[in-house]
Amino acid sequence: MKENKKMKTAKILIVDDDPDLRQALRLRLRANHYETVSATDGYSAIAQAYKEQPNLIILDLGLPAGDGFVVLRRLQDDDKLSEIPVVVLTARDPQTAEQRALHAGAAAFFQKPVDNAELLEVIQATLTQTQSNLAS
Amino acid sequence: MKEGSRRVLLIEDNQGDADLVRLRLIDSKPSVEVNCVHRLSEGLASLSEKTPELILLDLNLPDSHGSETFRRVLEKAPDVPVVILSGQDDEALAVKALHQGAQDYLIKGALGNGELDRAMRYAIERQALLRSLEMSRQQQMEFKNQFLSHVSHELRTPLTCIHQYANILMDGLAGDLNQEQRGHMSTILKSVNQLGAMVHDLLEATRAESGKIRIDRRCLSIGDVVQLAAAMMRGLARDKHVGFELGVDDKIPFVDGDPDRVLEVLINLIDNAIKFTPADGAITVQARLIPTDPDFICVSVSDTGCGIKPEARNLIFERLYQDPDAIDNSRKGLGLGLFIARELVRLHGGRIWVVSEPGQGSTFSFTLPLYSLHKLLLPVVTYNNLLRDAFVLVRVQLKPHNRPPLGNWKEICSRSLELLQRCVYLDKDLVLPPMATSGAEQSFFVVASTDMAHAEIMMTRIREQMAKLEDLKAAGESQVSVSAIPQPEKGQPLHRQVREIADWTTETIQAALGATEHLPRKPPARAASAGFEK
Repeated sequence: MKENKKMKTAKILIVDDDPDLRQALRLRLRANHYETVSATDGYSAIAQAYKEQPNLIILDLGLPAGDGFVVLRRLQDDDKLSEIPVVVLTARDPQTAEQRALHAGAAAFFQKPVDNAELLEVIQATLTQTQSNLAS
Repeated sequence: MKEGSRRVLLIEDNQGDADLVRLRLIDSKPSVEVNCVHRLSEGLASLSEKTPELILLDLNLPDSHGSETFRRVLEKAPDVPVVILSGQDDEALAVKALHQGAQDYLIKGALGNGELDRAMRYAIERQALLRSLEMSRQQQMEFKNQFLSHVSHELRTPLTCIHQYANILMDGLAGDLNQEQRGHMSTILKSVNQLGAMVHDLLEATRAESGKIRIDRRCLSIGDVVQLAAAMMRGLARDKHVGFELGVDDKIPFVDGDPDRVLEVLINLIDNAIKFTPADGAITVQARLIPTDPDFICVSVSDTGCGIKPEARNLIFERLYQDPDAIDNSRKGLGLGLFIARELVRLHGGRIWVVSEPGQGSTFSFTLPLYSLHKLLLPVVTYNNLLRDAFVLVRVQLKPHNRPPLGNWKEICSRSLELLQRCVYLDKDLVLPPMATSGAEQSFFVVASTDMAHAEIMMTRIREQMAKLEDLKAAGESQVSVSAIPQPEKGQPLHRQVREIADWTTETIQAALGATEHLPRKPPARAASAGFEK
């Protein structure tokens, strides 16, 4: 996350095991001028995060090969990845999962189906904050 | 205790009768160990120490009589079988105890050989059977709840997919749509939202049934919640050409409730009212004080719809109830809305009911407890039964750097509140429970029994402590502002009553919050479907 990415198109990593949902999010985010990459499970999520160094991760919780909580922990434990903000987007019940996800370091929590305007607003706010944190 | 002997607690005040029981049991195999007490209090004490296999109980004891005796034993030891020892003349009482859960009764003085022993064996067996039935019933319930919770979770994924792609088409991300196509997409989206609300209701009803709904109580302005509900539902009413009116008594003090949940109840009732009111009808939402009950307020939703038949009036609050004659039979929903509403109101300690005549419309009303500032203030603003001299209302405002706030903002707020508790004198300052706000901004209030000079010291302490809170810093450059409003000084001792202090506090808080939005965080799922317009 160096100068060249600042204020240019932000790169977002979409992690979801459902291909149709990944595609829908990709369409939605690209329409809003974000660059997207994706991963289908917990393991490839970490690999992609390393390789692509995204500005933000949209993370499903119910994933094969290491669920969302495992991914959150791995990201937090890794110096190279811990600064990347994570927005959780899951079908799980907020009553049981929301606090846990936020505790584990997520920046925001949404239950599916999500209101797109709300999601985009939070993505933008998160990116802005990360940028100002890096600047300071 | 001998190997294999059965331990029995005998509660019987008549020594003669007690001896008779012992005599009858002397030859039992396996042997019976009888622990005899003469009073209910002794019996209950013994039950606290050791659980017997069976209780033999005389209902009329020196310290307790009749059904009450059995009720108290049952309360103490619900799993131990009880056999009533009854006199000839009070058999009716024993029969009543059977209805309440006693296993058997025997008439004293008419005990045949071996009869007592046999009754005891059967009682123990029956009780064990009951217990295993109850356990399997609970297992089934648990299984059903898990199943429903699983189903509603699994339904969400395909639902999300339809929702996303319909929105992609609707928003023209895959090319422009013509008028007709937009109309069709709009219908798809409306149905998806209805489905979403049903999935939400399914999970919510499951939670209500298993007692897993959480209520997050706040100090709440009911007027704001009514306004918000109205803002969400007005469009739907307009589309159906149904009038929509509000009548909120502006003298209502704060209500003690969960803003999201109260909103959910209101949306539920308004949604129903719109559904059952024909075009050109009207809906009125009111909130008012109850003259006969100063601890509650009453919120009601009236419609000019088809009304409810007397025989259905109690049934409608039950799970899965559907009106068989509903006009709009095509989209009935799951019949969980009023059930959930009732459970939510009950969790607040209120009640919900309907007044209706067929053809005359219906009025659904529910009560909510008032937030009793008066009771909370009493111990801190008085000293030796006298009101303290001066009061200052201190306000601590937390503003997140981002809107909407990111990360664990809720927890940061509750940690700040804990910190605040440590900055005040608990015997003369009162930190009020959190106010219902939009969540983006949180205000805490402290009623301090002190003058401005001392309040300044307290405020400095609060600022210092808040500055140390790491998470608050981590949440971005969130602002903490601390301000104070002194109680106006009049020439005469104006505020002689705690109630006046409470009123002053309420008014001052209302004025302070007036400028900001203090509304629930997210609309409930049902509102999302009802308020959908595109």
